[in-house]
Parts: sequence; C-alpha cells; structure tokens
Amino acid sequence: MVQKKEYKKGRRKFLIGMGTAGVAAITVPMTAIAGGKKLVWDKEYEIVIIGSGFAGLAAAIEAKRKGAKDVVVFEKMPMFGGNSAVNGGLYAAPNTPLQKKEGVKDSPETMLKDQMKSGRGVADRDLLLHIARHAGEALQMTLDAGAEFLPYLQQLGGHSVPRTYQTTVACGAGIVQPLVKECRKLGAKLVNRSKLEQLLQDDTGKVVGVTLRQGYYFGYNQPGKLVNVRAQRGVIIATGGFAQNIGLRQAQDPTLTAEVGCTNPKGATGEALLEMLQKGAVPVHLAYIQSGPWASPDEGGFGYVSNYSIYNFPHSIAVNCRTGQRFMNEIADRKTRADAELACRDAEGKPLPPIMITSYKHAKKHPNCKKVLRYGVGWKFESLKAIAKKFNIPLNALEKQVEQYNGYVRTGKDEQFGKPMEKAKGKYLEAPFTVVRLWPKVHYCQGGVKINTRAEVISVNTWEPIKGLLAAGEVTGGIHGVSRLGSCSIPECMVMGITAARTLMKG
Amino acid sequence: MKTYARCLLAGLLVVSLAGICLAEETLKQYGDIKGRTYHEDLYVEKMCDGCHTSNDPTLFPPDDCCLECHDQEELVDATAREGDDIWQNPHNNLHYGMDIPCMECHGEHSRREPLCADCHNFSYPKHNK
Repeated sequence: MVQKKEYKKGRRKFLIGMGTAGVAAITVPMTAIAGGKKLVWDKEYEIVIIGSGFAGLAAAIEAKRKGAKDVVVFEKMPMFGGNSAVNGGLYAAPNTPLQKKEGVKDSPETMLKDQMKSGRGVADRDLLLHIARHAGEALQMTLDAGAEFLPYLQQLGGHSVPRTYQTTVACGAGIVQPLVKECRKLGAKLVNRSKLEQLLQDDTGKVVGVTLRQGYYFGYNQPGKLVNVRAQRGVIIATGGFAQNIGLRQAQDPTLTAEVGCTNPKGATGEALLEMLQKGAVPVHLAYIQSGPWASPDEGGFGYVSNYSIYNFPHSIAVNCRTGQRFMNEIADRKTRADAELACRDAEGKPLPPIMITSYKHAKKHPNCKKVLRYGVGWKFESLKAIAKKFNIPLNALEKQVEQYNGYVRTGKDEQFGKPMEKAKGKYLEAPFTVVRLWPKVHYCQGGVKINTRAEVISVNTWEPIKGLLAAGEVTGGIHGVSRLGSCSIPECMVMGITAARTLMKG
Repeated sequence: MKTYARCLLAGLLVVSLAGICLAEETLKQYGDIKGRTYHEDLYVEKMCDGCHTSNDPTLFPPDDCCLECHDQEELVDATAREGDDIWQNPHNNLHYGMDIPCMECHGEHSRREPLCADCHNFSYPKHNK
C-alpha cells in the first residue's frame, strides 16, 4: 500500500506570503530588428537551441565542450526529448567496434549506397556521407554520456550489412536520458513549456534571436507570456517532424488522414519548420512522409510491438490473413513494406492487418517479447492451426507457405520476394510461435528545410546560408530522399546537432 | 476440472476488480469547482492562490507547485516497481526519468489518464483518475 503523506500546509502558506518576490527584474539592451523596429530583449544567451531531442541535446553538449559560456535548450512540451524519447533507440554506424567483433565489413560509402537506394535516387549524397563519416564519433558521445547498448548488431530493412546498435532499454530514451544528464552536468540550461513564436532578424537578415511563448501548455488554452531571447552566436532549430500535424501532413500526402495512426508524441506539429519557411528557408521533400511497417494496430504510438517486429522481421514471415501467404520481403525498406501492408484488405476493401509469425524461441531473445505477450499486443500459439483459427486464415495455404519458407531458410535463397536470408540462417519457423498484427503508422518526415554540411539553413532568396540560423535532425529535409532507412535518424540527429554547434562556435 | 478453472477465473476477476477499486473516488464538487478530497481544506478556505501563484486562478500553477508539499523521492518510492517493470514507475520512468510535470498525469480539477496510456496498456490501479 502507498503511504499517504500529509502535505505541509504551513509550507504552502509561507510560500503564498512570498508572492512573486523571487522573480528578478532583468536589465535589457535594445536592438534594431528588421523593419526598423526596436526590440527589448528579456534574456540573452550565447547559443539558443529550440527542441530537446537528440539533435538539440547533442548541439548543447558540443557547444559547451567547445567553450560556449551559456547555452539554452527551449522545449515546447512539458517533457524533454520529444520523439527522441519514444522511438526504438536504433543507431546505424559503419566501422564500429561491434562490427569488428562480429566480423562485418562496412564503410561510410557502403552505408551511403544503401541509403541512396532507399532514397530512390533523390537523397542528399553530401549530407549522408558527412553523417556516415561522423556517426561513430557521435555514437561515442552517447556512450561517454552513459548510454548502454545491446551487445549485438541488428540488420534492419534495406541495410546490406548488420550495422545497427540498439539501446538496452530498446528506446531512444536510453540515449536522451544520459544526454539530458550530461547537459545539466555541463551547465547547459533546459527550459520546458517554451514554444517558438518567431525568429527575429536584424536589418541584414541575420537571425539574432527568438520570440518564445513561455508558460505554454500544449493542448490547453493558456496564454503564456511572450519573451524575446537574444542569441549572440545563433539559433539552432532542432524541433523534429510534423507527423502529428494532420492538416499539414495531409496537405502533403492526402492518404495520411486522421485515421492513420502515428508513432510520434503529440507535440510533433512542425511550427518551427513553418516559421523557418516564412523566413525564406528552402523547403525540400515535404511530401515524403514515412510510415513504419512494424507498428501494431493493437496499441498506441510506437508501443512495444514496433521494436519487437524490427528485431524479428529477418527471421519471421509476414502473412496476408486472407490468403495465408507472404506478401513482401520482410526486410525491404520501410516504404516498400508499408505499401504492401496497406494493400492487405478484406473482400470489401477494408483494412485487414497482416500478421507476423515468429518462432517463439527466436522472438524471446528480444527484451520486448515478454512485454508484447504480457500486454496482449502479441500472442503465443502452439500450432499453425491455432493461428489460422484465431485470424481466420486458410490453414492449408498457411502450412504450405511455412514449409516453403523453411526451404528458403535451408537454401539461403528467398524465391518469393528476394529477402536477404543471412540473418535467418538456421532459424526455421517452428512451433511454438508468437504472432503480432501489423499496420503502418506515420513515423517520420523526410522533408524539411534545406541545410548544407555545416547545418546552415539555406535561403530561397540568396541561395546562401541564412546567417545565424542552423537546423539539425528531422526538421531538415532532403537528406534521406523518398524513404529513410531505419536506424539512420539518430546518427543524423546526433551528427548534425554536433555539426551545428561546431559551426556556431567557429563563428 | 472445468469447474475448477471457472472458479479460478471468477476468483481472478474478483481480485482484479478489487485492484481497480483500490483507487477511490477523490474528485468532489466544492462550490462551483471540482477538487480533490485530499486537498479539501484548500477549497474550504478558498485558497486558490495556494497553487495558482499568479493573481489569475485561470492560469495554471507552475510545474514545481505540487512538489512544494509532496516529496518527490517519497513518490518515486511509493510507486516503485521491480524486475522487468522497474522502468514503469510513473514517477521515475524509462522515457522521462523524474522530469514529468505532475499535471501530465494528475488533474486537480478534472479527471486525467496516466500519460503512459497514450502508447501502453499498463495498469496503474492506485492512480486517482
């Protein structure tokens, strides 16, 4: 039982008596802002970062390490971390210690090649190569801060070799929490409930600060207070994507209606992206919005199934319940798989989520397996017959399919969909089985503002960097092209956050 | 054997219902506003400014307001979980550590679901909605 604690009435009354005496007045300089207006600064920092995910936190840490006196990270939401705190914690990098240990031959160029293929020719070669070359170094920043990773690599869809680390907690929070602690240790200030309202430019067009709405309660009608914050060196926008802004995402891709689920927290609504566009940033690929083919319709958000499926796809089959047959290469890139899943329909054309079948003995090696079974978002079966009965699948077809697939495991060649079978070697589908249902959820915005390899935001007016304005992470666009490969976002966020800080500190 | 299984199921149902009932109703009408019974004296004494430190009680209190009286470490201990569930402690959890403002899961004047429920099917039988 919980011990109920009496609250300290006396303490509360004492505080009431103090009123607002604790708030100090700030002496403020004035600055000329574009259009000849004078502006009063309420606060001033060397570097101002908007958004507290991987990119924002990495930028703050790197800026402090490069000697910045005062660095501040403003977060719109009540909690720090944004989408970085609720994703799978998967991190791809070439030439890592784990690859050496597992005897995997890899290079930044190989990683680039895989990403260019998934990007369907329109990914940004320079940025991808810059990220791949610095991914190991950024991984080290997470390790130094205290992040812990599973002792083995995974091979995610579209990657030609295993190169993906995963945090032991199977979540990006396993990186965000250490980074938050590191920021606090280094003295970078973190402030929540602070929403970017406007970028402030001087007469030359240089971004010299921001107007924030502080005391902002997302989802509630609270006015908050407008505050002008000066940024001596510049502003780094690291606010993530807009997958939760249904109007904006649907304007880009009309198929992404309110009925389509989303893995992101509710705050991923893209206002800072729109503000940068208003200030003349080049928009790139806004319509390329990725859905995660590993998500489950039986839980909200990213949940437990997403990571479970990502781990298990290489040695599992995905089956269309109507036919009892496979319908895709289970480790194709995300778009290929999401499109294939969305095509699984009943006789009336209504969604009929396909299922993923895994041998329990293989599934249970991932920490999420227990959770998936325990929280009723996945199920264990003793036979294919039991699976067929539960999901109304033609049993004969299903049995034939499993037998056929086990043949591919034996020969190492998938005759049906060309799935790379290296990671399935020796992993025959055998009872008992575990099953989850699959249905794509909106996961990631490939589009955003155009940046260069210094993380500077490019202007539509001059095609030069907008001075004082940098951006990193999902808010930037064009890096991954049509479809981002899994586990390539965290290295991108980390590397570009670090890059942005270095650019500003070099001056 | 079947009867035994049925009895067991019925027993489990009773236990789980009892679990749900652990969280008693604590939201009560005080004058023209609802409030929590365990803060009753604040309503009796009309001490809105006990939490709403600005002059306007329609503005939300600051995030650290509850912690002026409630001890965070005690809360963390009170909801601690073990083994595989260690990170499901709402007051010290996997995603946000101890950084979630209280009002994200607790409503003083209205019902609120735990934040975890956005993505997970966890059971928090002691949570006062």
